[in-house]
Amino acid sequence: MNETKLYKVIRYVILIAASIFVIVPLVPLIFMAFKTGAEYSSTSVLEPPKSFTNMYNFSYALRVGELGKAFFYTAIILVISLAVQVTLTAMVAYVLHRFDFKFKNAVKIMFTLTMFIPVVATQNLVFRMMYSVGLVNTMWSVIILYSGVGIVGIYIMLNQLDNISHEIDEAAYIDGATHFYTFIKIIFPLMKPACTTMIIINGIGLYNDFYIPNLYLNRDVQTFTVALYKFFGSMSTPFEIVAAAIIIGIIPIMIVFIFLQKYIYNGLAGSVKM
Amino acid sequence: MKNKGRTLLMKNKSRTLLIYGFLIIPLIHLIIFSYVPIIGNFIVSFTDWKGFGEMKFVGLRNYQRMFTNTEYIKMFKNCGWYFLVAIPQLIFAFILAVVINGKFRGINIFKGIFIIPYLLNGVIISTIFIIFFNNTGSLNVILEWLHLDGLKHQWLQDLRLVNPAIASISIWRYYGMNFIMFFGALQAIPQELYEAATLDGCNKWQEIRYLSIPFIKKVLFINILLSISGSIQVFEIPYIMMNGSNGTGTPVIMIQQSMSTNRVGFAAALSVMVFVIVLIVVGIQKLFLKEE
Repeated sequence: MNETKLYKVIRYVILIAASIFVIVPLVPLIFMAFKTGAEYSSTSVLEPPKSFTNMYNFSYALRVGELGKAFFYTAIILVISLAVQVTLTAMVAYVLHRFDFKFKNAVKIMFTLTMFIPVVATQNLVFRMMYSVGLVNTMWSVIILYSGVGIVGIYIMLNQLDNISHEIDEAAYIDGATHFYTFIKIIFPLMKPACTTMIIINGIGLYNDFYIPNLYLNRDVQTFTVALYKFFGSMSTPFEIVAAAIIIGIIPIMIVFIFLQKYIYNGLAGSVKM
Repeated sequence: MKNKGRTLLMKNKSRTLLIYGFLIIPLIHLIIFSYVPIIGNFIVSFTDWKGFGEMKFVGLRNYQRMFTNTEYIKMFKNCGWYFLVAIPQLIFAFILAVVINGKFRGINIFKGIFIIPYLLNGVIISTIFIIFFNNTGSLNVILEWLHLDGLKHQWLQDLRLVNPAIASISIWRYYGMNFIMFFGALQAIPQELYEAATLDGCNKWQEIRYLSIPFIKKVLFINILLSISGSIQVFEIPYIMMNGSNGTGTPVIMIQQSMSTNRVGFAAALSVMVFVIVLIVVGIQKLFLKEE
């Protein structure tokens, strides 16, 4: 390689500087989560806590912020939405990839055009619809909105289908399998890598979404982001407790990241190839 | 849409049933939650609808109000800050992608660190940056350490500084995502080209200039447009951190506030504006990429 010593040094300098840029804003949050109330108000934000074994803030956050309940609802919403979304996306991609039919181009255009329609520009009236059918303040409004088929997902699935041989379909057909059986038993299982990428990328997006749950969920049913927002918005909650709640919320996503980072990188890089 | 595959030509009734059976739910979802509301918003934007009762046609009054009231104009102008910060954000992401593209010790740790902000939600990021920009927050503490007391400010109270300050959070939040996209594009460059460049005696700088940059152009373009359409839709950070106060409002915050005060007609006009801007930006992207 044509990498000189100087280049290698410059590389490390740039990367370390960039890492510091990411980490510095996070440090006070971690410190804060372990500080006592008195310690927080008397020390600078960049001063480490006296001990990293003070778990009081964490247990307090779990008790008072109803975070357990929020995690429960978040999990239900995520599991249902992702299952529906991935299954429907695979079905649409399968049909578009393997069959010719009358309105194929019209269907493709309809899915493609949604790229032009930002979610924020539709909720004004979608909220009215949800309200009139009584779904506001239930998790079903959020699940229904999350269950749509997006164009990015369709692309990920179509790319996968390019790599699944047509001979498989044909062999199944000759053996007397219906198209439906072929899809469910043969093709869908082969699409597992695309499904995994989609579940992870969309799962992170939905777990972190604030706009939709904040709009639709208010009283008893909350997702983690909304619970955190309520928690943080009420002036009575001490900041060190909020910090502890945040650390608790980061843990699941960090676990996902550590074990599945490959899919995150591929999914993000792949989403520009459309 | 690319579709290289052959298609199954076997015809039977179950085939037609399967095609439309598989498409029906997603299409209905699409129509109800995307097309109907966007067309509906267009119609409602010419009325004074409150979300219930009768709709009275008011012509262009909602749009007139949007373009003449300085408060609303400022909200659109605020979006400019969010776009402006995208420039250093993209440059920064590009430099990182270039220097990390290779084999060396610690590469995965660095990649992991850069992606952290992408994994955090808006409430967490808002909290982090309230701690950062507060009067006794990290930024002022660091400035004190560096003996730059003159640069200390009340970042979130100063009306001239608050918008650039909170807009700059986008750099921290999104550059990791841009970085991964650039990195993906660089990885797609065939290894032979790098080897050929080395054999021809290119230095690292020439390699970046004549190999990496041309290859990354398309992804760069997509990222610029993503930043523009993202900046018109800014909501979370100014809403959570400031609740739109101190002049930090954005069109989407205004949509939300109009909705909750039952000014559905006006919210519809704002939605149409946001939609039209996104439409233009994405349209440019599609046209440009098709020409290539």
